[in-house]
Amino acid sequence: MNTLAASTNHLDFTLAQQLTVIVLAALTAFISHMALAVFNDGTRPFMLDFIQGRSSRSATAAVSFGLSAGFIFGLGAPMALSSGVLNPWLLFLPTDILGILAFRKWLAPLLGGAWGALIVFGLGGTNNLAHKLPVDFLTAMQQMSTPILFLFTLFPVLAITKQFGRARGGIAAVIELAFVIMTMKLWPNVFAGSLAMAAGVLMLIGFAVRKDLLQRKADRAAFAAEGTTDTGPQEADPDDPMVSLFSASAARLRRYLPLFMLLGAGVCALAQMHIFGGGEATSFLIAKGQYSEAAQVDFYRVFGFIPLIATTALASGAYGIAGFTLVYPIGYLMPNPILAAVVGAVVFALEVLALSYIGKLLGKLPSVRDSSEHLRSAITETLSLAILFGSLLAANVMGGGLAILIVGGLYLINEAMGRPVVRMAAAPAAVIVGGILLNVLYWLDLFTPVKG
Amino acid sequence: MTKILTGGVGKTEVAGIVSKLGIDGIEIAVSNDMDAAMKLRGGQADFYLGTCHTGAGASLGVLVGLLGKPLCHTFGRSVPTEDEVTALLAEGKKVFGFAIDQIDAVAPVMARAIAARG
Repeated sequence: MNTLAASTNHLDFTLAQQLTVIVLAALTAFISHMALAVFNDGTRPFMLDFIQGRSSRSATAAVSFGLSAGFIFGLGAPMALSSGVLNPWLLFLPTDILGILAFRKWLAPLLGGAWGALIVFGLGGTNNLAHKLPVDFLTAMQQMSTPILFLFTLFPVLAITKQFGRARGGIAAVIELAFVIMTMKLWPNVFAGSLAMAAGVLMLIGFAVRKDLLQRKADRAAFAAEGTTDTGPQEADPDDPMVSLFSASAARLRRYLPLFMLLGAGVCALAQMHIFGGGEATSFLIAKGQYSEAAQVDFYRVFGFIPLIATTALASGAYGIAGFTLVYPIGYLMPNPILAAVVGAVVFALEVLALSYIGKLLGKLPSVRDSSEHLRSAITETLSLAILFGSLLAANVMGGGLAILIVGGLYLINEAMGRPVVRMAAAPAAVIVGGILLNVLYWLDLFTPVKG
Repeated sequence: MTKILTGGVGKTEVAGIVSKLGIDGIEIAVSNDMDAAMKLRGGQADFYLGTCHTGAGASLGVLVGLLGKPLCHTFGRSVPTEDEVTALLAEGKKVFGFAIDQIDAVAPVMARAIAARG
């Protein structure tokens, strides 16, 4: 056993880790069977018809499969293989489908657990095998982390520019750059982007809240001038279809609070074990042992997802398997799995109890909801560039120009073919394919590995 | 004038692409899911184009809940032909979701099919 590699890459799952994954997969499949939560934000809207009995189990499972398949094979699998770390797409999207598909209650956890077992044993084995190859493309993949960390720092700037224009975007860019340089000079041990990201996200939220408050004030003034009593559609009104739909869903979810607490405990404990990365960027950071950086990246990512998860949960009556995903960063930072489980349960309880309030608040803050959409789009843009660039760096490390040609070429071909593989995962998937190809060429005596 | 609203992650891109096509008879505006759902219910808008990573979650979430699944359709990450869109419009679908990485391909098809319907 190569202990040196094991210290930087989590190749082997311990028994406790294997059991956690299997039990959690069984639990998530059961919860999805009960239509209480699904991981895929796209599947959630379709759960309402299923809960209300207007669409069948098999039809809903088909929707879930259709929306998830591309992300399981195009994002989850390549990310897990390339980083050696589990991710929610590989773990929770299949349990969404299996849980809904299971026609008996007892079958759901059985299928979910079987999937969990398949990936811990399959991934661990494949990973070990890949590290022993002459061209070790998995170690090369660690090149990803630098571009991811530094480019991700910039995502609030992109969101501010898109939502609030060039001037404020420019100011945010200058402030973030100043913070990065300052952090590097004053606190060399802290990740350079930490303060910059915090400042950027706070600026964006500040701009959005200010805009909404001014708008509400202006609306009220306008209504007062007209002399009408109508306070607009945003006020809580029991006849408002949105309000009644939202409160029915919130009440349904609150009834299952203990089950959600169990789920929160499981997801948080899994994150604590450092065998799981919650976001597109995080797997590579966890693989490299940069846990506090991973926690920051996933924490700021949360702001882009809270409104999406809250509104789809309130509209459908089904929550997210990872909730607001706050349990990921909390989990990475926890000292042990037991504490992580306790904190995860508490966080989930608070989230479920606060859902209704968050929904009402979001109804009054359209600019904040806008911000979250701009944040998600900015996250995609920064990470797309970072992961593409990181993949080319990885290619360079594993096989120089030939590997760059293969990896970059496969990425471009995927684009030209209309992206059968999700863009975010296309480059890492190309590194895996390129790595396998280089090993074949090595056996054929057509390629000499680059030794680092 | 047919009024189309956009929402979701790529709402500005979708509105931009459709406006640039310069098709007569359709008007496209950037909106968001909650406002769009209320406007469609109230007849102040005719169609909604939502975008997100799956093509269904952020783009359709609130709309499926408020308008019902029969009015909504998601293409997921696939790219429909104009005939497919025309058939869906004939069925009475008003709300469409598609993936952010397929906006370039899907938005013009949608706009043309909606305009052709008049």
